[in-house]
Amino acid sequence: MTRFATNLALALTLSIFTGVLSAQSTTTLSVTVGPEASLTVTTGTTTLSTTATNFSLPYTGTTSLTYKIRTTKVGGTGTITLKVTSDFAGTGGPSVTTPPTSGDALTYTNTVSTPGTATTGTLTASTASATNVGSFGAAANSSSGTGSVAWSLTDDPMYATGTYSATVTFTISAT
Amino acid sequence: MPAGSFGSTGTTTQTLNATISPVGRLVLPSSTTLTAVGTTFQPFTGAMAVSYEVRTTSVGGGSITLEVTSDFTPAGGPSASGGVLTYTCGAAGLGTACSSTQTASTTVQTPVLTVPASACTGGGGACSGQDPNTITLNFTLTDQPAYATGTYTAQVTFVISAT
Repeated sequence: MTRFATNLALALTLSIFTGVLSAQSTTTLSVTVGPEASLTVTTGTTTLSTTATNFSLPYTGTTSLTYKIRTTKVGGTGTITLKVTSDFAGTGGPSVTTPPTSGDALTYTNTVSTPGTATTGTLTASTASATNVGSFGAAANSSSGTGSVAWSLTDDPMYATGTYSATVTFTISAT
Repeated sequence: MPAGSFGSTGTTTQTLNATISPVGRLVLPSSTTLTAVGTTFQPFTGAMAVSYEVRTTSVGGGSITLEVTSDFTPAGGPSASGGVLTYTCGAAGLGTACSSTQTASTTVQTPVLTVPASACTGGGGACSGQDPNTITLNFTLTDQPAYATGTYTAQVTFVISAT
């Protein structure tokens, strides 16, 4: 019996692959887009003024706003409202909450561009509750909506002379 | 060896050839959700961690790119073809990450990172210390009021190549 002891001399040869190898993999990006709305009052301060000198005309002025909105495709709604969140300050002047004379009021009319619909008629601003400016239906989309509120404040002889300021807060909502 | 027998020794050689090829491998999350944060109509954002292994030759290099291979569906929502989906690249575990905001495209591959020659994943030494290497992409999707409400998905395909 012959036995062979084998020694292996290993020669390792390396070669460099010169082609281009590539692999790919795919993933999913997902996003859920919900109803949203934003509003900007573009009139920093609205000055109410009158051209009359005999109490025959109210103080008037206009506040402008822009809005963006997206309501749900089915069943969605939206609204723009306003509320006097800080009544006219100062003693003896106009007041939304407690006017010196019954019938004095801060009233307004609206415009709202499509897809919104302005609330029609003359409305009375309140410190107690929000009042309507406009509304939106389902699937309302706009990135450049506009609106305006034309104010009218009774010129009551009972008002003491002076400058009075009130704060009005606008709210836009979307579902 | 038994006494009286003749000894004999044989020698042979064997050659083992190993072809070390450039190679790349990607591991992606199955999905990434983009979410809105902060105030209204701010962008949707989401982070995606991409794991990869790569080896390049001494005269080659490599890259990872991405392409939106299926735009957001259903219709009525965002569309990557409109350039509204962008991303930035975090630090790359190996290679050089994209350095500026990239706009994802439905027609061309856009860069994620480049890998230099003689690069390899893992093991330390001349190779990276981490295995796999990772890079985080931060996606941003513009939130436009024109989008209809709903959930939209898009497919993004990453390609890793090495030479």
